[in-house]
Amino acid sequence: MLEIRDLHAAVAGEPILKGLNLTVNAGEVHAIMGPNGSGKSTLANVLAGKDNYEITGGDALFEGKSLADLEPEERAQLGLFLAFQYPVEIPGVSNMEFLKAALEATRKAQGKEEWDSVTLLRKARETCKQVDLDPQFLKRGVNEGFSGGEKKRNEIMQMLLMEPKLALLDETDSGLDIDALQTVARGVNSLRSPERGIVLVTHYQRLLDYIVPDFVHVLSNGQIIKSGGKELAHELEEHGYGWLTGDRNDGKDQSA
Amino acid sequence: MSALLSPEDLKRQALANVQDATESNAENPALTALRDSSLAALKAAVFPGRKTEQWKYTSLQPLADGHLNRRAAAAATPADLPELGDYRLVLVNGRLDESSSALPDGVTLKREASRLEGLTTPFALYNGAALDDAITLEVAANTDVAGTVQVIHYADGDQPAHCNTRLEVVLGTGSRMTLIEQYLGRGPVLTNAVTAIETRDNAHLSHYRLQSEARDSLHIGTLLLRQSGVSRIDSYQLMAGNRLRRNDVRAFIDKSGAELNMNGIFVARDRTHIDNQLCVEHRVPDCTSNQVYRGLAGEKGKAILNGRIHIHPGASGTLAELSNKNLLLNPGAEIYTKPELEIYNDDVKCAHGATVGQLDAGQQFYLQARGVPLAEAKRMLSLGFVNELVMGLPDQTVADWAQPWLAGELGQSRGADEEAA
Ligand SMILES: Nc1ncnc2c1ncn2[C@@H]1O[C@H](COP(=O)(O)OP(=O)(O)OP(=O)(O)O)[C@@H](O)[C@H]1O
Ligand SMILES: [Mg+2]
Repeated sequence: MLEIRDLHAAVAGEPILKGLNLTVNAGEVHAIMGPNGSGKSTLANVLAGKDNYEITGGDALFEGKSLADLEPEERAQLGLFLAFQYPVEIPGVSNMEFLKAALEATRKAQGKEEWDSVTLLRKARETCKQVDLDPQFLKRGVNEGFSGGEKKRNEIMQMLLMEPKLALLDETDSGLDIDALQTVARGVNSLRSPERGIVLVTHYQRLLDYIVPDFVHVLSNGQIIKSGGKELAHELEEHGYGWLTGDRNDGKDQSA
Repeated sequence: MSALLSPEDLKRQALANVQDATESNAENPALTALRDSSLAALKAAVFPGRKTEQWKYTSLQPLADGHLNRRAAAAATPADLPELGDYRLVLVNGRLDESSSALPDGVTLKREASRLEGLTTPFALYNGAALDDAITLEVAANTDVAGTVQVIHYADGDQPAHCNTRLEVVLGTGSRMTLIEQYLGRGPVLTNAVTAIETRDNAHLSHYRLQSEARDSLHIGTLLLRQSGVSRIDSYQLMAGNRLRRNDVRAFIDKSGAELNMNGIFVARDRTHIDNQLCVEHRVPDCTSNQVYRGLAGEKGKAILNGRIHIHPGASGTLAELSNKNLLLNPGAEIYTKPELEIYNDDVKCAHGATVGQLDAGQQFYLQARGVPLAEAKRMLSLGFVNELVMGLPDQTVADWAQPWLAGELGQSRGADEEAA
């Protein structure tokens, strides 16, 4: 489903990803962990097609298509979804209007049946409730004045409605209270299916107690330096990244 | 065709029409006095040229096509004009369609015009000097007009020509009215328009000024507001650019306690042009004016707003605000905005702000990342930029008309057909 081979990418001319490899098959849940500034959000933004995030080498294929050749909206229409670490606010554009535009464009591209406005409103309301967001939020400007946690829930709400093939969640758990964390986890788990891939970027083992990953990767300095099963997350929780990155504290070397 | 047009040329062309017109108009003696005094003033007036400060960004060169040499002929009222009010008057090329003259109780229609004070631009004077027809609406004292009144000024012609159109409105003491002034049209006609409104004590006017003639049309218009009484005017102005659109809005706030609110949205897409010259005169103490304008320009469109607030020496206790935010949709478009304050009194509160920004790349990406195509994302963000003002339109019928109209104006560029034309 997603195949990243020796990916190099630069942000505003600065090399950030330096030969990254990752394969996500349908039905799998992957977690990516790694120190601040290691390139996790950069990877997400490169995959989603943000301006100024330039692929300088290697390739990223989604469903066999090279992402580099596609506009951001085409990637979304193919079924790629990025839940942003910092969702932007769009005053003046209501959440509902936004959902309508997003769903019209993607459902049409995917050959799914169109939802009339009554269906859309009903689904949107139901999904709001599913993530504990008051349906009144549909009338507000996109993320406008939402609290940190509300923004994250809004991302999950969009994801649930859009039913992507591949969902990338960039620190959706950060800044959530315990109840919200469970709500978000329930939402993500409800999407888990043999046709779908999920990539969770997170700093915390706790999320992975609720959404149990098939694979855990450590991203450091623009590369995946270690991959393992769910137990890797526990090791990281215990020892930090130092023993993997080889620098600073405990001198445990990378082969350990 | 494109010989350089001097201020003297313009004046000569205008005066030539007036001399021709005098005889044919003799049948409406109600207009004679205004025509004569306007003509006298016009003879002394100087038309704008390249060096005129208030016309810095607007060239009258499009008139070299000969618009001022020809008056638009009488034409029939088109069948499909919008109905935004409960009562509708239609003027085609400045002449009232008499089949459309039903009005609510308490509102009287006269085929006359009289106002001259405050109308000082050469085009407003020419309008007065050349009138074939005009309408004055008088709202009787203490009338809460039942139903909204729409006045459509329709410009129609197949070749460069001009028309003069005029509306005067007086709201009597204690009266209330909703007036929808709408400019529509077809073809390369210059509409030279004057609207003059007076509000007496305790009058309340809700005023809509909707301007969307054809893109190859021209419009030079004056809106004169005079609050002779303690009154309130709420004016909502929606304007699309065309080949040349120039609006001079002049407000005289002349009685203590009066309140003026003006909101406007203007859009200049493709190669269209729109120039707003606003001037609010606070001449007495303790009045309030509040102006909120939002402008957008895209492709090679050009939009201008000059917002002058003039607070006279005696006008203590004045509260005056002007905000003009603008959105440049691409680097080739132009927006010029300038608040211009002249304050001759210390005891006033005056706030103003003018900005020109661009579409936010982060917002654009967020929409695209949800599958929304770039052009649609831009349209949504542009609409979002003016959404607050659209939501603030109190008349539901106007709001229902404005939303799709704006969505069209802010949608995909019509550049392709424009190049072909
Ligand atoms: N526009 C930019 N210009 C220059 N450097 C940038 C830009 N955007 C990101 N970077 C740099 O790229 C590196 C990777 O950033 P990124 O946001 O991908 O890290 P991250 O792994 O998501 O970190 P965190 O865990 O803190 O979210 C950082 O050093 C960051 O400063
Ligand atoms: Mg990050």
